Amino acid sequence: MSTDNQHYVSVRALSKSFEEQHVFENLDFDIAKGEFVTLLGPSGCGKSTLLRCLAGLEQPDTGSISVDGVDITRAKAQKRGIGMVFQSYALFPNMTVTENIAFGLKMQRVAASEIASRVERGVALVELQGNEKKYPHQLSGGQKQRVALARALVTEPRILLLDEPLSALDARIRRSLREQIREIQKDLHLTTVFVTHDQEEAMTISDRIFLMSKGKIVQKATPDEIYLNPINEFAARFIGSYNLLTRDQARDVLGFETTCGLIAVRPESIYIAQDGGLYPPSCSRPVKAVIDSHQLLGNVIRYRARLAGDLFLTVDVMNRSSSRLVEPGAEVSLLFNMAEIRPLSE
Amino acid sequence: MAFGATRSKKLSASTIGHGLLLVPFALFFIVFEIVPMIWVAVTAFFVEETEAWGLGNFVEILGDAFYLQSFTNSLSLSFWSAFIGLLISAFAAASLQKVPGRMREWMVSFTNMTSNFAGVPLAFAFIIILGFNGSLTLLLKQLGIIENFNVYGIQGLFLIYTYFQIPLGLLLLFPAFSALKPEWEEAAFTMGASRLEYWIRVAIPVMLPALLGTLTILFANAMGAYASAYALTVGNYNLVTIRIGQLVVGDIFFQPNMAAALSVLLIIILSFVTAIYRFLLRRSYHAA
Amino acid sequence: MQPKTGAMIYHKTVIILTALILGMPIAATVLYSFATNWGPTILPDGLTLKWFETLLAEPRFLMALGRSLLICFATLLFSTLLVLPMVFAVFYYFPRLKDVMEVIIILPFAVPPVVSSVGLLQLFAGDPVPIVGTPWILIGTYFTITVPFMYRALANGLEGINLKDLIDAAHLLGANTFTAFMRCILPNLNRALLASLFISFSFLMGEFVFANILVGTRFETLQIYLYTKRMTSGHLNAAIVTTYFFLTLALTWAAMYLSRPRTEKPVEDE
Repeated sequence: MSTDNQHYVSVRALSKSFEEQHVFENLDFDIAKGEFVTLLGPSGCGKSTLLRCLAGLEQPDTGSISVDGVDITRAKAQKRGIGMVFQSYALFPNMTVTENIAFGLKMQRVAASEIASRVERGVALVELQGNEKKYPHQLSGGQKQRVALARALVTEPRILLLDEPLSALDARIRRSLREQIREIQKDLHLTTVFVTHDQEEAMTISDRIFLMSKGKIVQKATPDEIYLNPINEFAARFIGSYNLLTRDQARDVLGFETTCGLIAVRPESIYIAQDGGLYPPSCSRPVKAVIDSHQLLGNVIRYRARLAGDLFLTVDVMNRSSSRLVEPGAEVSLLFNMAEIRPLSE
Repeated sequence: MAFGATRSKKLSASTIGHGLLLVPFALFFIVFEIVPMIWVAVTAFFVEETEAWGLGNFVEILGDAFYLQSFTNSLSLSFWSAFIGLLISAFAAASLQKVPGRMREWMVSFTNMTSNFAGVPLAFAFIIILGFNGSLTLLLKQLGIIENFNVYGIQGLFLIYTYFQIPLGLLLLFPAFSALKPEWEEAAFTMGASRLEYWIRVAIPVMLPALLGTLTILFANAMGAYASAYALTVGNYNLVTIRIGQLVVGDIFFQPNMAAALSVLLIIILSFVTAIYRFLLRRSYHAA
Repeated sequence: MQPKTGAMIYHKTVIILTALILGMPIAATVLYSFATNWGPTILPDGLTLKWFETLLAEPRFLMALGRSLLICFATLLFSTLLVLPMVFAVFYYFPRLKDVMEVIIILPFAVPPVVSSVGLLQLFAGDPVPIVGTPWILIGTYFTITVPFMYRALANGLEGINLKDLIDAAHLLGANTFTAFMRCILPNLNRALLASLFISFSFLMGEFVFANILVGTRFETLQIYLYTKRMTSGHLNAAIVTTYFFLTLALTWAAMYLSRPRTEKPVEDE
């Protein structure tokens, strides 16, 4: 039974409570075939529980989950055709790398010769050749996670679920591994749901992000969309280092009138006026400010500027050799790109 | 300051002074534990009849059906009580992980308390419920489950031995089962394994060292037990420890060297079993 | 993963069944000690306290109980005086002996009491140290029984605190090592020490092998007394066992109470 590929995974009115407390309520969403969706949010927002309901490891109280047109809400985890990667790797300590990867194939009663060849391809896919006979305790964190990935992929699942798989790893390994995961996912055109609390991670690898807070999906959008148009204060605070100004502050500082309670201004939408600089025509009149501090973030210099009324704003400037570093205490004029100001509805 | 000079002395005055703290303990421990051990090990090789050193005692034991029976009885009783006790405590320990916290705490306390209920009092309790007029005996007879049950013989011994193995097994296995991570079960499920397959392929292999180790301890515990058996059977059932006791205390059968020889054989058996366990342990994978 | 309801029922059943198996002999004995008459019926005919009254009036029982308590207290005092300095010396002065100690504390378990008795009986039956048949040999052997429990508890307690740093700090503040130990270290070990004392106490109260083989009725402890009553009234025996059992229960409970992990959470930094 083939359905509209846009609704490969369909969730309707999904709710779950745990001991009288709502974990999430009335969730509705669709995931397209081959799409990489990230559930993003702070701890306790319900994203992991939602993922585990998709996996069949938890049972939702009400609502439905369908995959490829078939309702799987009450199906057992064994029968969902899902591959899952856990934060703690969950590798079986009594089995070698090969045996771990082969486990799912054994459960599917695949012929031994085919198991061997598929495991070999799996090992190559995650670049762990030479480690086949090692036990989990002999591997590094990154290697363990790659084994977990291979183990989930060799069974050729129709959906791949990843529960904060990179949280336990070093920053450097995290970056390279997440790119590897994304590449493999694209090659296999595998529908994937990824859970994380790290917004940078979500922004880099996702096709779409489902931003969650307190059991509700606040915004469903591409990374671009969410970044440029956060739907409310929570989204604006969670993604990027948005500056948030109240309605009064917006009027006083910028002369910007709005009916919304808050406006969001991206740090890179504010410029430090310098002689000979070229700025977009949609910029505001200059606003006086004093630089409070700066942070060198590699390719970006992040300034903290104090404006009238003790309003502190973050200003990001590209680190070009032509721009001089502004010292704390210096008085500057700030220009705001009015076209990029985003009023927030909540 | 002669810094170097003080460091180079191996046996300085202060070391001796500090060592004095160990002396009282060492003295009494050696006298009451080590020396008897060595005495037993040595006198086993002294044959009374010939007043000569040699393997005479051991030869006699291995040629005597009665002594051999005591070994087979002890081995059989110890093995089966350890095995059944392990099975029961394994299932209980596995379930103990999953029940709610209050029930778990209560059960741990209860097990701790019952683990002290051994020896003579336990034998009496069994006589009360399983003796000829015991309430459980009568109940089972009424239900037609048993015909003649003799608590004073091997049947009673088996029950009482298994009984005191359960708390020990449970207390040893309970922390071991908490090493089973729930994610392993979940990962196995997502890959299509049923609960049984998970247990057979992952959980039991991971638990094997703990299970075997506990089995060894339970076995040793049973082999060395004396009080319960003595109180229940009054020495009428042929076990190694009973034999040893009778050879040392009895006025008629006073043969301390034979007792020593039996003891040495007992210790050899226990060491052998422990060695097998350690060998098996080394053969398996090493969990991180 | 929360086990589903069906699984939870199974788990609870297993635990309840195990508890029943373990509890049945105890419950039956306690019931028997309060029973007027319990013939070939499922439940006793009636309840009474007369067995306990008889027991408490029986001088031989009281003497045996007294002897057991005396021996146990004496042994515990003796053990504490010997083991405490030893554990401190091992941890502070001779840390390499820790491995040796691990082997030593296995010995009382690896060598069954009946085997030790063979040697003990021979060694101490006559000159130069004729203590067989006296309480002294019991104190000596009971001491060896307590060693694994007390060492383990005190060692665990000392592993938890940074012994060297504490003593060094005390030294710098002017205390000598003995004062440092008594005032700074020992108070931290109190709970562990007490817990091990209670466990040892209940173990020793139940000890039969050494008592039977090495002293017998010449110094009749509670367990020996109980054994001699084997052929007499079951109800009275049940009363003795019940008394002993509740005593052990109180002791074990006290030990567990003392060993429970500290529940105070440290205050978090702002």
